[in-house]
Amino acid sequence: MEERKKPILELENVSKTYRRKLSFFGKAEKDLVALDRISLQILKGEIFGLVGESGSGKTTAGRLIVKLEEAEEGRIQLEDVEITHLEGKKLKEFRRRVQMIFQDPYQSLNPQISIYDAVCEPLIIHKVGDSLSRREMVEGAMKSAGLTPPGDFFYRYPHQLSGGQRQRAAIARAMVLKPEFVVADEPTSMLDASISAQIFNILLEMRDRLDVTLLFITHSLAAARYLCDRIGVIYRGNLMEVGPADQVIRNPRHPYTQALIDALPKFGHCGEEKRYDTLLRVDGDAPESAGCCPFYPRCKVSHRIRCSREKPTLRQLAPSHWVACFYVKAEGEFLPESDQCFYGT
Amino acid sequence: MALLEVENLSIGYRTKKGLLQAVEGVSFSLEAGQSLGLVGESGCGKTTIGMALMGLLPPNGMVNEGRILFEGRDLVKASEEDMRKIRWERIAMIFQAAMNALNPVQRVDDQIAEAILTHRPHLSRQEAVEQIKGLFQLVGIPGDRMRDYPHQYSGGMKQRAIIAMALACRPRLIIADEPTTALDVIVQDQILKETRNLQEEFNISLIFISHDIAIVAEVCHDIGIMYAGQLVEYGPRQEVFDFPMHPYTRALLASYPTLTGEKSRLTPIGGETPNLIHPPPGCRFCDRCPEGRSSCKLGFPSWVEISPRHRALCYHCR
Amino acid sequence: MARRLSERFRSVGFLQEGWAIFRESLLGRIGLTLLILFALMAVSSFIPPRIDPMYHPMTGVDPEISSSVGPTLRHWLGTDFMGRDILSQLLAGARVAFMVGVSAAFMSIFLGTAIGMLAGYAGRAMDTLLMRLADMIMVMPTLLVVLILSSLFGQLNIWTIVLIIALFRWPGVSRVIRAQTLSLKQRPFIEAAKVAGASHLRIIFRHIMPNVLPLAFLYMTFRVTSAIIIEAALAFLGFGDPGTVSWGMMLQWVWKTGHMFRAPYWLLPPGICISLITLSFYMLGRAMDEVLDPRLRREGEAE
Repeated sequence: MEERKKPILELENVSKTYRRKLSFFGKAEKDLVALDRISLQILKGEIFGLVGESGSGKTTAGRLIVKLEEAEEGRIQLEDVEITHLEGKKLKEFRRRVQMIFQDPYQSLNPQISIYDAVCEPLIIHKVGDSLSRREMVEGAMKSAGLTPPGDFFYRYPHQLSGGQRQRAAIARAMVLKPEFVVADEPTSMLDASISAQIFNILLEMRDRLDVTLLFITHSLAAARYLCDRIGVIYRGNLMEVGPADQVIRNPRHPYTQALIDALPKFGHCGEEKRYDTLLRVDGDAPESAGCCPFYPRCKVSHRIRCSREKPTLRQLAPSHWVACFYVKAEGEFLPESDQCFYGT
Repeated sequence: MALLEVENLSIGYRTKKGLLQAVEGVSFSLEAGQSLGLVGESGCGKTTIGMALMGLLPPNGMVNEGRILFEGRDLVKASEEDMRKIRWERIAMIFQAAMNALNPVQRVDDQIAEAILTHRPHLSRQEAVEQIKGLFQLVGIPGDRMRDYPHQYSGGMKQRAIIAMALACRPRLIIADEPTTALDVIVQDQILKETRNLQEEFNISLIFISHDIAIVAEVCHDIGIMYAGQLVEYGPRQEVFDFPMHPYTRALLASYPTLTGEKSRLTPIGGETPNLIHPPPGCRFCDRCPEGRSSCKLGFPSWVEISPRHRALCYHCR
Repeated sequence: MARRLSERFRSVGFLQEGWAIFRESLLGRIGLTLLILFALMAVSSFIPPRIDPMYHPMTGVDPEISSSVGPTLRHWLGTDFMGRDILSQLLAGARVAFMVGVSAAFMSIFLGTAIGMLAGYAGRAMDTLLMRLADMIMVMPTLLVVLILSSLFGQLNIWTIVLIIALFRWPGVSRVIRAQTLSLKQRPFIEAAKVAGASHLRIIFRHIMPNVLPLAFLYMTFRVTSAIIIEAALAFLGFGDPGTVSWGMMLQWVWKTGHMFRAPYWLLPPGICISLITLSFYMLGRAMDEVLDPRLRREGEAE
């Protein structure tokens, strides 16, 4: 039950825009709004899945949390410490608590550094332990990440390892400092299915044994369902739906979530009829949307008046299930225009 | 007679460390208008087969055994000249990362027109453009985007343009190698459905190569599972999914998280793929096989027929 | 501890693999062979010649000969116009060539790498400043500047020449290193180091430098050739260090004393040596290129 769990990470109205440079001929290119006043709470000890397609802003959210980039607006809080803008010593302390696993195992390890050195480096940076205890810690981290026996891998270099092994080394490196919060940015999208399954299981074990909170960023709803306690669906920098994984998938309320589920291949048990059918067939690119619901241009079940003029906020539908849509009632029917009910949070 | 018959195909690459046998003894056939999905993880040889069918193996690759009978003709023995006539007209290919196959400094319609006119020189430029208009309508690209440059297209549109290009000369067979890997889920779904519709409408045969078994299931009538260069299971889509026989197929299916159904613990496949320069004796999956027995290492496993069209390469699948 | 060190070296696959690739390259083998020959020459210049233990190539004049004489048993390559042994001069010249070439190259690489890394990593103002400086220096003709300097300050010491060559040659290297640094900066393992809490200094020295050094060494081989040629040119034009015997100096003497067409045994050896040593360094560089490239290519390979 979430009442017992407290939030460990909070994002409040966080925005991030990538400004495009002016093109050579002076024409101002449009800025790209990666995150649009997004608010999110992640509870201690859970695995939270942030699910979205490319360009949804999910990777940006992860990067803001580990402070590879700075938010322009809004507030980010790690337990009781505000981390929106950190520098110097405070930033270094923060780095002990929050770590990241990157998407590309072929690029996230320095090719000139041995696996032992790579995993040991965070310990050296933060001056943890001496050379003997460090060796133990590295061994422990590598064992939890499934690189056994650790000694075999110590003096090898990344190019001598397979993709799955490299990713496990990256996991060991992220975990060696025993951080409280880890962002995993699509850790399996470059790996085969059978190897991905290994990584998923390693992440699950890690959470159980080390009591670490995980933000799992992915484009795969199925992977999120397997791994995560709660799921947040993000589209064009906005959270569309947040709730327990099973609920969101079995009983999605937002038209975008429903479109995603319709689109997923279902292992040969597919019929032609879509279950929800909420997607408009839009030829070409979906047009930009500002000041209205981001999904409005592609939404089949929207009503023009409200959806095109206002942006819906996340509203609570059921305990711990939030949806950002104007026309959803608790029973799952879409509300006609005349019935304007507001739900408190 | 089947449109395509592959008999006992073996393909190797000459490397500094020796001969890498990427494909070994693969046989299958494809009727006109049917689609086959070749599924396997990286290094299993599926892309190599696709390239061999087009005659596009790299210089160090060679077919060391077997035949590829396309419309009754052995492509292995065909000359480069013959292959050039067949490519695009009879067999077209949609490559992996096809989105980068478009020339960035040429307008899209120019590129496709070039492809058409190369193979149908008797057509005029105007006629080619008319054809392109029709193709774009087929694949769902708005006509006013024809004169754009590739970078102005989204990922999905580029893929559709590539499909249009592949259809331009009305080939009998299309080989699609991971065409939707880099696309978002929703776009991918649309393109898969469109591909299936086009395939049925024009009675084109399709070989769909992918590492994602779920995608293949959306599109193909038949499925072939590949492991370490060999075809280990083959059969109609529904049968392979409902009754997977080869331990690798079962293990593969068990390592995919599903959206529906029970949420059971994923069982990954331990170990690593075998070295294809010095392949292990006997069954190549044995070391990682949950049902492996020492007898599997002696002698080569043979095909077991489970149903008239469903077979698996394993001793134990009765 | 010792065991761990030895384990480490055993697994430094780069060197082993690199050596294997290098050995296979024809250019590498020829280049290396020639270089070893020249190195032997340089080393043997320290051995006093048979003629006389007190013999010095600059001043050691054979008392019995007072003019240029062709090859004899006593002087394998003959003597120059003063009666000095040409072979000894050649050997001494080899020593100078290595000294000048390697030192100048080393210094310019050192400067170029440091500045390139700094410019690439820091970016923005620092980058612009350093690169504009590099541009300014790059457009200045090295030879001309040295000539002007020596005409102002008289004959230059050999080490001053080395220093000047280094100071004028670093911009080229720094551009390449900067480009490499820029591309490395974006790679995920650098971001991973940042997330782990690494300081900028640590990132530069631990992560960027090792990935940039192979390129730097590659360029060093090319720098050596240009340093040797510049020194030879200076000496030939009469602006070298008069107290040092170098191949360029020898050529100057041939020319100045009008023996250009009269004494091929004197003219040819230094000229050929300059050409050959330059060629051999170049071949070495090309072979090293092959070593670096396949490794870089292999790393990007998917399984």
